[in-house]
Amino acid sequence: MSTEPALMSLTSVAQAIADKRVSSREVTQSCLERIARWQPHLNAFMAIEAEAALKAANAADAALAQGGRRGALHGVPLAHKDMYYEEGHVVTCGSRIRRDFVAATTSTALQRLKDAGTIRLGSLQMAEFAYGPTGHNSHYGPVHNPFALDRITGGSSSGSGAAVAARLTFAALGSDTGGSIRMPAHFCGVTGLKTTVGRVSRAGAMPLSQSLDTVGPLARSAEDCAVLLGLMAGADPADPTAVAGPLPDFAAATTGSIKGLTIGVPTAFYVDDLDAEVAGVLDATIAVFKREGANIVQVDLPDQRQLTGASQLVLAVEAAAFHKRWMIERPQDYGPQVLMRLQNGLAVPAVSYLEALRWRGPALAAYLAAVSDVDALIAPVSPIPAPTIAESDVGNGADAEAVIQQLTRFTRPINYLGLPALSIPSGFTRDGLPVGMQLVGRSFDEAMLLRIGAAFQRATDFHDRVPRLP
Amino acid sequence: MTRPTAKEIKAMADVAGVPVDADVAARIANSIGPAFDGFAAIAGTLPFDLEPSTFVVVQTAKAKR
Repeated sequence: MSTEPALMSLTSVAQAIADKRVSSREVTQSCLERIARWQPHLNAFMAIEAEAALKAANAADAALAQGGRRGALHGVPLAHKDMYYEEGHVVTCGSRIRRDFVAATTSTALQRLKDAGTIRLGSLQMAEFAYGPTGHNSHYGPVHNPFALDRITGGSSSGSGAAVAARLTFAALGSDTGGSIRMPAHFCGVTGLKTTVGRVSRAGAMPLSQSLDTVGPLARSAEDCAVLLGLMAGADPADPTAVAGPLPDFAAATTGSIKGLTIGVPTAFYVDDLDAEVAGVLDATIAVFKREGANIVQVDLPDQRQLTGASQLVLAVEAAAFHKRWMIERPQDYGPQVLMRLQNGLAVPAVSYLEALRWRGPALAAYLAAVSDVDALIAPVSPIPAPTIAESDVGNGADAEAVIQQLTRFTRPINYLGLPALSIPSGFTRDGLPVGMQLVGRSFDEAMLLRIGAAFQRATDFHDRVPRLP
Repeated sequence: MTRPTAKEIKAMADVAGVPVDADVAARIANSIGPAFDGFAAIAGTLPFDLEPSTFVVVQTAKAKR
């Protein structure tokens, strides 16, 4: 066992606690010590609840001593993006408007993790109302990338990406509406799973876009993501959009080989105008898949720019509708960039919005037809590695939306199609910046992505690299 | 589909009950315009019987592989 329990994986630490090789208190103390060292540099946590966490850890240890293991993650301390409601706790949503909002209910995803025995370390920073891909937050300051403190983490699950990368929490919930799990996973060198729309209940999760929002984990490996998804997925009376039906064994899927599987590489769009080092990582990733026995084929996809346009129209309108009351009553309490982006929704006629929603079925059908011969698609998450915090601080300037669209151009089409995607650490630049690739699957086929991701992680060690404080 | 002008956006925002000034309307036009451009080839071409719920039908159809 590592001398620092916080450096273990989620699955390893859960087993170690169950076997009484380490106590929940020791594990929690280890996380809190790392948080104390890193938080001044990262700004990853919105709230740190050390005393309550240690009290909960003591209770978990006492229960275990009496044979009372609550679930698969008994005694494992976690922190999540500060948009998951937990009864009695302040949930800021990264905003000034909700700075003092106390949740009256607990989100289903979070409750299911609590039912599995997890305990709460605190809450994690995020972009204001999850509406920003860089990790900037005009109210609470930017979150810093653990691999290079002057660089962005990506967003909107900025604190989740940074905290998982720095081993401050074993995993964290994020949300992905336009790339908000995959972007921080890419920039921070962690594994992030954007789930299929409908796979995980959104009840009690702050809404941004009812058509595009998804709940998913950021963790240190595909195996850890699989465990978390298995605990959270499935029907929920509180969210009728959460799909019922039997669930695959996601954790079992991670033990499978990729020999004989077929992985597609897009011939255009996702390979256009890439940073040279990102392009190099894509090639190296494909080489690993080949070495592990996968077949690699080129895939011609439908025009992805149309999907991006449709995605923007849907997101702009739905976000504006959720925020309309505050846009009228409290516009001064938004950050300039978030208000600007919310105002975009005022410019989309209802007919255009509904056309964008009506096209979603045929667009998905066309995509699925194009990938009918492959098990998953591989593509970069973003065309570039993490830019500096200073150069990406574009506020509400004239080119702000263009900068945002450039960062997220490979993630938005996947959100429009509602597909699952797994971002895996795939390499590093010469300057030591992480680069992630996304595996994109068919609707509700997260198991395939986790299988491929886990096989890649058995063959590489990018996901095991731990950043060091300067 | 044509992207809305700043003048049109100002009128739309007024109707929506969230009025914006001319400068903000110009910024919105610049910001959301590319989304209209991207969707232009699809807008106005969809068949009559296409329901938004078709997405769920396609999504939940059994995978081919």
